[in-house]
Amino acid sequence: MTTLTSNKPDKIRDKVHRVLLGKKQILVTEDEPLLVQLEREGIHVEYQCREGYCSSCSIKLLWGQVEYPFEPLAWVQSGYMLACCAIVKSDIEIAFFSD
Amino acid sequence: MSYSTFNRKQFDSMKEPMFFGENVNVARYDQQKHPIFEKLIEKQLSFFWRPEEVDLSSDRKDFQKLEEHEQHIFLSNLKYQTLLDSVQGRSPNVALLPIVSLPELETWIETWSFSETIHSRSYTHIIRNIVNDPTKIFDDITVNKEITKRADSVSVYYDRLIEMVSLYNTLGLGTHHVPEHGDIEISMRSLKKALYLTVASVNVLEAIRFYVSFACSFAFAERTLMEGNAKIIKLIARDEALHLTGTQHMLNLMASGKDDPEMAIIAQECKEEMRNIFVEAAEQEKDWASYLFKDGSMIGLNAQILGQYVEYITNVRMQAVGLDTAFETKHNPIPWINAWLVSDNVQVAPQEAEISSYLVGQIDNDLSESDFDDFDL
Ligand code: FES
Ligand SMILES: [Fe+2]
Ligand SMILES: [Fe+2]
Repeated sequence: MTTLTSNKPDKIRDKVHRVLLGKKQILVTEDEPLLVQLEREGIHVEYQCREGYCSSCSIKLLWGQVEYPFEPLAWVQSGYMLACCAIVKSDIEIAFFSD
Repeated sequence: MSYSTFNRKQFDSMKEPMFFGENVNVARYDQQKHPIFEKLIEKQLSFFWRPEEVDLSSDRKDFQKLEEHEQHIFLSNLKYQTLLDSVQGRSPNVALLPIVSLPELETWIETWSFSETIHSRSYTHIIRNIVNDPTKIFDDITVNKEITKRADSVSVYYDRLIEMVSLYNTLGLGTHHVPEHGDIEISMRSLKKALYLTVASVNVLEAIRFYVSFACSFAFAERTLMEGNAKIIKLIARDEALHLTGTQHMLNLMASGKDDPEMAIIAQECKEEMRNIFVEAAEQEKDWASYLFKDGSMIGLNAQILGQYVEYITNVRMQAVGLDTAFETKHNPIPWINAWLVSDNVQVAPQEAEISSYLVGQIDNDLSESDFDDFDL
């Protein structure tokens, strides 16, 4: 039983993607949104609500794919992503607004 | 075209623009042109809170212990916030309800403005608890030069739009002479332009005008002072973040042309003016910080740091509505503020008076040494 469930493709939780940020490269999983994983690496990202409704955590998504488990209330400008609630789905490159 | 409280025409409200279409008749939400506004309503209702639920008894003692220049900082911020929420508790209703054309947006405007009245009531709750004579504080709001300067810039676009819409509703399109105001041209174009600039100006109000005050409240609470107040400010900040998202959606929908093609042209024309509204407000907020600290700073904050913070969040908010950033400041000089602004652990039960002290400890643990670089102890 256990073997069966863990073999189901959608149950594979350990997919790892590379996040490029300037000269830095961070490895992230699909388990949690990007924001917490960046913070764990000591990278400060502006935030407020951490729930997708304030747009404070909006950062540039230069290329790559992210997904939102629920549709955020905040407007997402094209070419940007909300770090607090986006799940990284491929290797991506990001930049802060100031760069 | 005069306003009707129940438009008898038959039309498909799914085809109406957000503003300046038909007056809304049936308040129905089973179908929505812009479902985001219904979602904002639901979120705002889930945030519902009452100021009286927050216990302020220790704030009274704390306030008496504050140094005089700190009392000045605290009270001035309260006065300024009172001004802002006095405006916001009525103006979205007065200015926007006569011209809105979608039921979900009409109800969002009412829900938004209602939540601002809770903020206003919370200032009375705070002021009553910390001073014996609230009148002195409230009366100063209409005479204090530093505050009235700001009252002018937050109300000018609203007042202009309200005047133009009332001329439109009574006299229709054309150029109308108004005693003391001269000739006012009322065309669909000029009305829509006034609307766009009003939303731009309100967006800036929601986006940056509260944040100097928020920072001071949280800086007091970092020292375990005025914690009841900080709890109320946390609740207000959560609401304001949602209001901001509301105005950002309106602006971005207008600029996209998807809602009303003419609005996209107007948004393009108004780009420079919208930018100026941001920059002017940021400069005013920086001046406000200098006024607050004229007799002395407080631990962890001074006018310069707050000025940089204003520039930083102005950049963040400009980007959110598709504008290039205006200031050099690239980093948040007071990153500890975000731990206060985050709303996940806001609780209002009075028996939980300890919760914010507990939070202070938690926040301290989460900060790294470098976060205190700008924190002049
Ligand atoms: S922190 Fe509010 S949208 Fe991400
Ligand atoms: Fe408010
Ligand atoms: Fe607001």
